Amino acid sequence: MNSALSKPLEVPVMLAIDKHLALQQQVFFEARLLDDERYNDWLGLIDEDIRYRMPMTERRFRKDRSAPLAFGGGYIFDENKGRLTMRVDRLQSGLVWAEDPRNNVRRIISNVEIWQGAEANEAEVYSIVTIHRSRIDGEEKRFVAGRRDIWRETAQGWRLALRELKLDNDVVLDSNMNTLF
Amino acid sequence: MINVDDLIDQTTGAQRRVIYADQAIYEQELERIFGRCWLFLAHESQVPNPGDFFRTYMGEDEVVVVRQDDRSIKVFLNTCTHRGNRLTRADRGNTRAFSCNYHGWAFGIDGNLATVPLESEVYFNEIDKDQFRLVPVEQVDSYHGLIFGCFDKDAPSLADYLGDMRWYLDVALDAMPGGTELLGATQKVIIHSNWKLSVENVCGDGYHLGWSHGGALKATQSGDFSGFTVGNSNVNLEGGMSVAGLNGNSVLATLDGVSGYAFYPNPTLALKYLSENRAKAVERLGKLRGEKLWGSQLNLTVFPSLQFLPGLNWFRVYHPKGPGKIEMWTWAIAEKAMPDELKQQILDNELLTFGPAGLFDNDDGDNLSACTVQSRGWRTRQMPVFTNMALGRSGKRVGLPGDIASGVVSEHNQRYFYRRWQEHMQAKDWSEVPQYNLNPLEAKDEQRTVQAA
Repeated sequence: MNSALSKPLEVPVMLAIDKHLALQQQVFFEARLLDDERYNDWLGLIDEDIRYRMPMTERRFRKDRSAPLAFGGGYIFDENKGRLTMRVDRLQSGLVWAEDPRNNVRRIISNVEIWQGAEANEAEVYSIVTIHRSRIDGEEKRFVAGRRDIWRETAQGWRLALRELKLDNDVVLDSNMNTLF
Repeated sequence: MINVDDLIDQTTGAQRRVIYADQAIYEQELERIFGRCWLFLAHESQVPNPGDFFRTYMGEDEVVVVRQDDRSIKVFLNTCTHRGNRLTRADRGNTRAFSCNYHGWAFGIDGNLATVPLESEVYFNEIDKDQFRLVPVEQVDSYHGLIFGCFDKDAPSLADYLGDMRWYLDVALDAMPGGTELLGATQKVIIHSNWKLSVENVCGDGYHLGWSHGGALKATQSGDFSGFTVGNSNVNLEGGMSVAGLNGNSVLATLDGVSGYAFYPNPTLALKYLSENRAKAVERLGKLRGEKLWGSQLNLTVFPSLQFLPGLNWFRVYHPKGPGKIEMWTWAIAEKAMPDELKQQILDNELLTFGPAGLFDNDDGDNLSACTVQSRGWRTRQMPVFTNMALGRSGKRVGLPGDIASGVVSEHNQRYFYRRWQEHMQAKDWSEVPQYNLNPLEAKDEQRTVQAA
């Protein structure tokens, strides 16, 4: 199922332990920034050339013989920095009524693997994000997605350069995805 | 049967809220609406080759659409005729046979029962395989690439069912040679909304646009859209129209020939395509449709549950899952003649605006769910809700079929939608369902309009 995200390096190499710990902290810190709706601070962790993508998925037979879709399945998210900023602008516009009163949202980041990336200053990070949203009255919603990130070390610290997401729901079970993974 | 005479009041534009909550009313809808009307199943472009199949729903009935070797389309209940297991579990694919997971019965793509395991040993070769063919959907037909099915053998033909709505549909489906295609995988979202609320939101409700979608408008709008502003503080009623009275089908339209692309952050490519092909569209559709409708925002609704919006370019069908739940399926729609780069941009922008994480769509879900859940309250469900805006302010326009109200903000289309719902729910069969195409187009009308314009 997650083959698209499962491309470990041929010989996985760990980062030096201090770098490993610093990046792991960063991954959890990033989740807390989003939980706390500190979107501008979050954008500060995003590299200028970010690709942030979540493809549409389908249920197909393993040995499916049909022709691929001419223009691909499409992406739920296919964002560069400008588009992520557009989403943040909408969330902060004060006009997204479904988010006011605010919903309680927590991201649980687990199964974190950190490996040396293809470039000397890059790390490849695999993780699973569970987004738990407690909405009006007893309404609880949950998204689960696999993530493959590339984080890049800069003079200002680690910056996110790539995030490939695989949502585990072929049918989205919530009426909105006013959220970032 | 439930008497729905008092549940919709056409004179005041009121609906009783019980219609969004009651299980028995919902069961009657499955029989009298989804069991009787022509329902969209798939686009021809989704099953191009023999053996291609696509799994979908008609009401709560699961069906599979299959392209045959002779290129015709057959549609079957997606259920094994032996013990009733689901037949195919894939969304789509290509196959020579459908094998049941339970006991291994295998059916050809033409629906014939081809293989019964241990046929001689345990059935003693006495099974009549003809009796166990897959159950076909009674009527299947297509219109400009859209495949429809109907469970009722007495239903009017698809062409008559669509009626004069075809004149508007052709703006979206037949403006360019080659017609249309759907792009992308099926975007499936569960919404805890009654299906009618989702349909009415799109069939006629331009009113919510500036308010519900204020945040999204602010983020994406690049051009004028009928004078709309964030916060619903302005509208230009002359810039659009609401068209209904076409057997429950309806159109909401702007009239400038470009504003379909007003919610593309960068519409350059689309506007270039429109200007390069305008003459061809006029040649094929006539001056009125080619100049004023092609490229405009159109909300097209085919009763009961198909809606598509050329311009914003989403194409959607709602599958009911009980009175309080739908599965909403969406694709992007493009004209085949469009350059690949524009098609890719259309798929991308459709997902940005109306996909599962769409900037617009994510505003609607919570409103419609809340309208639904509110209607469950014992006291609340006795109350009416209203679509009474601009009541009585509609009429004929020369050269345009239907009963027409000014602007994309009126509740004219919703009233006709609920009128059609009531007519079907009252009628015991098709012989009791009234047929109407108000202000039918006459050849001389079209000619006069073309000359005058």
